[in-house]
Amino acid sequence: MSMKRTNWPVTILLVIGSLIVLFPLYMTLMIAVKSPQEMADAVLAWPKEWHWSNFKEAVDMTNFSHAFQNSSIITVFAVIFTLLTNSLVSYAVARNMDKRLFKMLYFYFVSALFVPFPIIMLPLVKEVSKLGMNNQTGLIVLYVVYGIAFNLFLYVGYLRSIPAELEEAAVMDGASVWGTFWKVIFPLLSPINATVAILTCIWAWNDFLLPLIILSKPSMATLPLAQYIFQSKFGVQYNYAFASYLMALLPMIIVYLVAQRWIISGVVRGAVKS
Amino acid sequence: MRKNMTPFYLMVIPAFLLFFFFHTLPMLMGVFYSFTNWNGLSPSYKMVGFKNFLNVFQDPQVYSAYGFTFKFAILTTVIVNIISLAVAVGLNSRIKLKNTLRAVYFLPNILSMLIIGFIFNYFFSNILPDVMSKAGMSGLAFNILGSENTAWIGIVIVTVWQATAFNIILYLAGLQTIPADLYEASSLDGASKWKEFWHITFPMIAPFFTINMVLALKNFLMVFDQIVAMTGGGPAKSTTSISYLIFTDGFQGGSFSYQSANSVIYFIVIVVISMIQLKILQKREMSLS
Amino acid sequence: MVKGLKVGAAVLIALSLLSGCGSNDSSGGSGDSAGSGKVELQFLQYKPEARDTFDKLIAKFEQANPNIHVIQDNPPDASTALMTKAASGQLPDVIANGGDNVHASLVQSGVLADLSSDPNLQKVSDVYVKILHDISGSDKTYGIPYGVNANGVIYNKALFKEMNLTIPQTWDEFIALCKKIQDAGKLPFYFSFKDAWTSQPAFNALAASTQGNDFYKRHSEGKTTYTSEYKEAADKLLQLVTFGQKDSFGKGYNDANVAFAKGESVMYAQGVWAIAEIKKANPSIELGIFPYPATNDPSKNKLISGVDQLLSISANTEHPNEAKKFVEFLLDPANAKEYVKGVNTFSAVKGVTQDDPSVSDLAPYFDKGQIADFVDHYTPSNMKLDQLLQELIMKKDVAGFLKNMDDEWSKAESRK
Repeated sequence: MSMKRTNWPVTILLVIGSLIVLFPLYMTLMIAVKSPQEMADAVLAWPKEWHWSNFKEAVDMTNFSHAFQNSSIITVFAVIFTLLTNSLVSYAVARNMDKRLFKMLYFYFVSALFVPFPIIMLPLVKEVSKLGMNNQTGLIVLYVVYGIAFNLFLYVGYLRSIPAELEEAAVMDGASVWGTFWKVIFPLLSPINATVAILTCIWAWNDFLLPLIILSKPSMATLPLAQYIFQSKFGVQYNYAFASYLMALLPMIIVYLVAQRWIISGVVRGAVKS
Repeated sequence: MRKNMTPFYLMVIPAFLLFFFFHTLPMLMGVFYSFTNWNGLSPSYKMVGFKNFLNVFQDPQVYSAYGFTFKFAILTTVIVNIISLAVAVGLNSRIKLKNTLRAVYFLPNILSMLIIGFIFNYFFSNILPDVMSKAGMSGLAFNILGSENTAWIGIVIVTVWQATAFNIILYLAGLQTIPADLYEASSLDGASKWKEFWHITFPMIAPFFTINMVLALKNFLMVFDQIVAMTGGGPAKSTTSISYLIFTDGFQGGSFSYQSANSVIYFIVIVVISMIQLKILQKREMSLS
Repeated sequence: MVKGLKVGAAVLIALSLLSGCGSNDSSGGSGDSAGSGKVELQFLQYKPEARDTFDKLIAKFEQANPNIHVIQDNPPDASTALMTKAASGQLPDVIANGGDNVHASLVQSGVLADLSSDPNLQKVSDVYVKILHDISGSDKTYGIPYGVNANGVIYNKALFKEMNLTIPQTWDEFIALCKKIQDAGKLPFYFSFKDAWTSQPAFNALAASTQGNDFYKRHSEGKTTYTSEYKEAADKLLQLVTFGQKDSFGKGYNDANVAFAKGESVMYAQGVWAIAEIKKANPSIELGIFPYPATNDPSKNKLISGVDQLLSISANTEHPNEAKKFVEFLLDPANAKEYVKGVNTFSAVKGVTQDDPSVSDLAPYFDKGQIADFVDHYTPSNMKLDQLLQELIMKKDVAGFLKNMDDEWSKAESRK
């Protein structure tokens, strides 16, 4: 049957399309490893000489290791606490959707998705700095709290597919609601937990606006923020600028290359279940 | 059996309080400020009623920001969905290198929009004009971000490049839920590929279409990072989005309460649009399936 | 259940401690919580060109004051950053921004310390203190003028010599000069309108020399409009931009600095701040700068000079003494000299001169006091003068531009 044959025209089209996707990254790499002279000759050609020193220069100019550390701390803690707290809240909501109060709560959280961020921006900055939370800790708390809006949507969708009999059995055996959640439900949530973890990780790592307004000192800057802060420092030293862009993108790319299948299936699961 | 509700309340109350405190409260304060003349700095301010709202409705700058934002968001939503649906269908057919290609197409989704913006900024400013003039198309050898008429296209391109990834994966997920025997039946009927797509594939993935359209439009209406990285709202305000206008104007002296009023209006607009969109698309979904 | 909550709370606290520690580690022990009794001063300055010079000065200051650690913050879009910080009550201890509307907003909001009786004020020229009063609309002094800049037409001396050109004294001579350069197949100007602000220097000069006397005062009293006094400036700006390269909206400030440094254009409509950047791209370039000959009466052509960098102290700083110490250090003539040398601007500090030959053409104007302040220091920032100018240059609609100016002005006024 024709269904079994490889569809070559489509394969070729998709390969061409994938080159478009890869091109900006290729360009970034080429500029990052060239000298200004070589770049002037041919920006996109394969370099004759690899100027790795551009990266060293970029590290010094943008305080890369601090920014990397800040981004890592914020992302890791945001992910951990999002998983632990958001799943719990979603469980309580999902199992009581028949009650008016919980249903309202569900819509309360989810409707926050429609609030444009600018409206809360300045009051938020005031509030957060009054509490002395204009630092990494505050940022983590905000990611965890704001994450509820979308994660609740994902978790509740998934929890509905888990038959209630499982918990009822546990409750019969005398387990508390908390015990049931941590011992029975939470492990069952691992697929959707993976999804939430991935989405939170991508968000926290790449976010720009929230760190921009919350973090009060340049020493706290995350990677995108550091790129923004030091943008003026590069001037026309494009090679250093691109070396630093590449370094800021690279950690995520590496994680992605290693865990690519897992990440994509995680995102897919989120989509299907919601 | 009556459930013991206490643990459930304990689970949600802290979350509710935190969320109220960090999200709802600032929002209410924003609404409150929209009725004042506060500049964001002064120790004192007074209530001015609906003056800010009336001013917003008379402000050509606000209208032009809405104009750009909607033009951008609608067009980008359409382009992103067409491309991602096409690529997803392609990725779902019998092809070589399936996993590699899928991985490549999803890659942009994990990258920082701001940095992508910086990279494309260089591309539009330096590479593209050069390529065009070398290709003999000197009419196109200019920086598209530098012209009032074309700068928005640059923003669309960079956004499409980044946002398509996510939608491809969602559509792909949708396509994989379609049972293969549906196609076998239709191929026995001798239906063309095109017909097959419209009669089987598309109705089956309609829920994904709905969610993609709603999420994409909502995200694009909030466009911000790209603009910071590439145009700063220019040239001549042609790429000033609503979010960017509220951010810069609200913070840069004198206009905080005014822009709060603008953002309240914006909030209402977004809610209304999302509602309408959901209603229409859900109706469609029903009639399709 | 209660136990669960307690555990949750404990974990939250642990988190905040952990990440708190993490942040201290990551800032390289720069936190004042390090226990060494070091005072940490936040110093925000808005000039990217001055970043390296301040780094050097700070190093020198820290050597003399080992118990003070100064952290320089030089964000892009510094005025937004500054306003955000001010609004949230986290203004940096020491601020070095420009004498412009941002300074005015900060003064009017009462977040800056009153320096009217500060002895350091004696060190600087009164003219600029007066300018700051005009800008802020206050009789008190909240900022000490430090760097003073000037804008003008930067020109390539080698190309001028080669083409046998002289510095124009009147507008007609200026236009004739541009035509002559064009006829010789060279580019008179290289513009960089992709960065909106670069449309301002030329306009500032043209408007300041062509507007009526006391324009700002009459304007704020509602006695005149942009339409009635800015037409000439707008017309002349449009005339000037016809002498630029083709893709002038495709290039940014950095691109233009490099292009001028490479000799791609004979002149460059910028200010003295660009000279250092140009020299970075081509250290051997010989250049000069002359004031815009905005009118045909040389005595009316003013040099545009304003307070480029002023020093203010937050009203709520926790370290007022250390902040003052740092300000005093910067105002020391030797350090002020190092600053103007590094940034290639002029100094408000008495007796500190700019000896760079590239700016020697401007000296007579300073001596005679034939000076006017930047026009954009008097336009509210939410008017977005830079973007209005971009629009003017693109659409060439002078009447529309003037009407927009007036509309935006009354809008900004009505929001107060």
